[in-house]
Amino acid sequence: MMNATIELNGLEVQLGNRTILHGLTGVLKSRAIGLLGPNGAGKSTLINTLLGFHSASKGSARVLGLDSHTNGNALRSLVGYMPENEAFISKMSGVRFVRYMAEISGLPPDQAMERAHEAFVYVGLGEARYRPVGTYSLGMKQLAKLAQAIAHGPKLLILDEPTNGMDPPARKRLIELIREIREASDVSLLLSSHLLHDVEETCDEVLILRNGQIASICNLVEERRANRKFLELETIGAEATFTSTLESLGCECAVFSNGRIKVVMPDSMEIREVFKVAADRGVQIRRMNHRRDSLEDIFLNAMEQTGAADGRI
Amino acid sequence: MAVYKRRYNPYSGTLTPQWSRFFVLTRYAFAELFKSRFFVILLILSLVPILFFAGYIFVANNKTVQLLMQMRSAGLFSVENEYFIMVMIAQTQAAFLLNCWVGPVLIAGDLTNGALPLFLSRPFSRADYVLGKLAVLGLLLSAVTWIPGLLLFSLQAGLARNGWIWSHIWMVVPIIFCSAIWILMLSLISLAVSASVKLRIVATGVIFISFFVPAGLGEMYNSIMDTYWGRLLNFTEMFRLILTKGFRERTGLLGPLSRNEIPVPAAWGVLILVCLLSLVILNARLKAREVVRG
Repeated sequence: MMNATIELNGLEVQLGNRTILHGLTGVLKSRAIGLLGPNGAGKSTLINTLLGFHSASKGSARVLGLDSHTNGNALRSLVGYMPENEAFISKMSGVRFVRYMAEISGLPPDQAMERAHEAFVYVGLGEARYRPVGTYSLGMKQLAKLAQAIAHGPKLLILDEPTNGMDPPARKRLIELIREIREASDVSLLLSSHLLHDVEETCDEVLILRNGQIASICNLVEERRANRKFLELETIGAEATFTSTLESLGCECAVFSNGRIKVVMPDSMEIREVFKVAADRGVQIRRMNHRRDSLEDIFLNAMEQTGAADGRI
Repeated sequence: MAVYKRRYNPYSGTLTPQWSRFFVLTRYAFAELFKSRFFVILLILSLVPILFFAGYIFVANNKTVQLLMQMRSAGLFSVENEYFIMVMIAQTQAAFLLNCWVGPVLIAGDLTNGALPLFLSRPFSRADYVLGKLAVLGLLLSAVTWIPGLLLFSLQAGLARNGWIWSHIWMVVPIIFCSAIWILMLSLISLAVSASVKLRIVATGVIFISFFVPAGLGEMYNSIMDTYWGRLLNFTEMFRLILTKGFRERTGLLGPLSRNEIPVPAAWGVLILVCLLSLVILNARLKAREVVRG
């Protein structure tokens, strides 16, 4: 049986007198997990707890089958962490900085040196590797942080807001790198971001946090597989027979006031069949929006919902 | 794998033993230190007194040289406990200056740009981190205190013969232990300062202040309260008291010990307390994340 990547069992974290995470419970099994939530939702606190920086006041968290508190050291030996904020030693050259970090992770000096060069070339900073990290641009610093996170070959890569402050081409390159890393090896990924697009492009499953609680856990692969098509219709003269005919074709329909109907179409169905049914029933379609259920919908839905039964949507 | 092959590869090679990884910090810190010409000069200057002390031992054990120098007084050249107290005082002061230059940058450099979470997100504890940084100062200050102290002791033992070594072997203990407490206290104070102050010049100032201001306050307390216990805040004096007692000296270079003498266990207690206080500061400052109280 496949081990869960992250398993949360009533995880509660208090910082000072404030409870930041309120009894999080959930199992995330995918290899690439996105962590979403508005500012102050508890994303970084959750990451810090998984890394053992904060202790759980109640409950527990397991990462790759290891308890984050009792097996913290073993867990951290499997992790590569790219923090959200600035994290470098400004006077060191890039490659020396990455080598240093790799040696702290346990690589022998010669191996650490080789891997540091590889990581720097891999992230596209090969030309700048001998420059002090302090002289790098913001985007280059982000890439240097990624290089130090992958140099020791971790099993789980934790990326906290990796595209922060990057221009669109650099952001695109970083997202491509993350996808490459995910696809080229068996490394798991936990990516925290407030940019839905980043998560959508790199992750298979998302954990959405709100006010320190799980608002939703959503498997994007299943969502994509379902590939549900949404139609938002504004109609005149739509009777119950119109929706029942659509339902007989495999659609799910929700009728609202003023002739507004939301239709979820099956994969096999084409839009022209909706027009055909409407024409047969004498229904005027005055307006139609056709779109797929995006992560944005899932996110907004999760933000609106309160107290979902088990957090799953 | 050649570096030009751009693809991600997991690492499957051997790993260094966990217990030895703190020394990576020490190694990198020394590499950075020896890039500084000023540091190298300071280190050499710290060892210069040793040459004079060694020369003194040579003259003290060489009658021909004494005759040539026309110094025949038997008591003029004596290598006894007073001599080693002098050596230790000179070298611990050199260690203090060296520590003021090296200590402030050891942790501040990692904290300035938030590198600490990178260390602590690895199989590397805060204790490993402190140990790695402490080892830098420990090795460096040892090189100018007890190691040359023991070398001088060995030189004297080799030149004096006549069983000098067996009658003086007890001196090895104060040479090592007095240096150890001084090194530990200096190192922990400067690491605590380095973890709290980012600018080197300010941190160096704070280290000086942490020695001289309490001493001044102690003297004020003594004057106001008509007591002598305020001297407990003079860490240098407490160290010298331990040193003098350690070398079984009651009078001599430092003058007669007064009746209002602080008990040696109290002096030890103060120095240990300073070490513990520094550890508390380090514990509070060395966090992977800021904890927001509220």
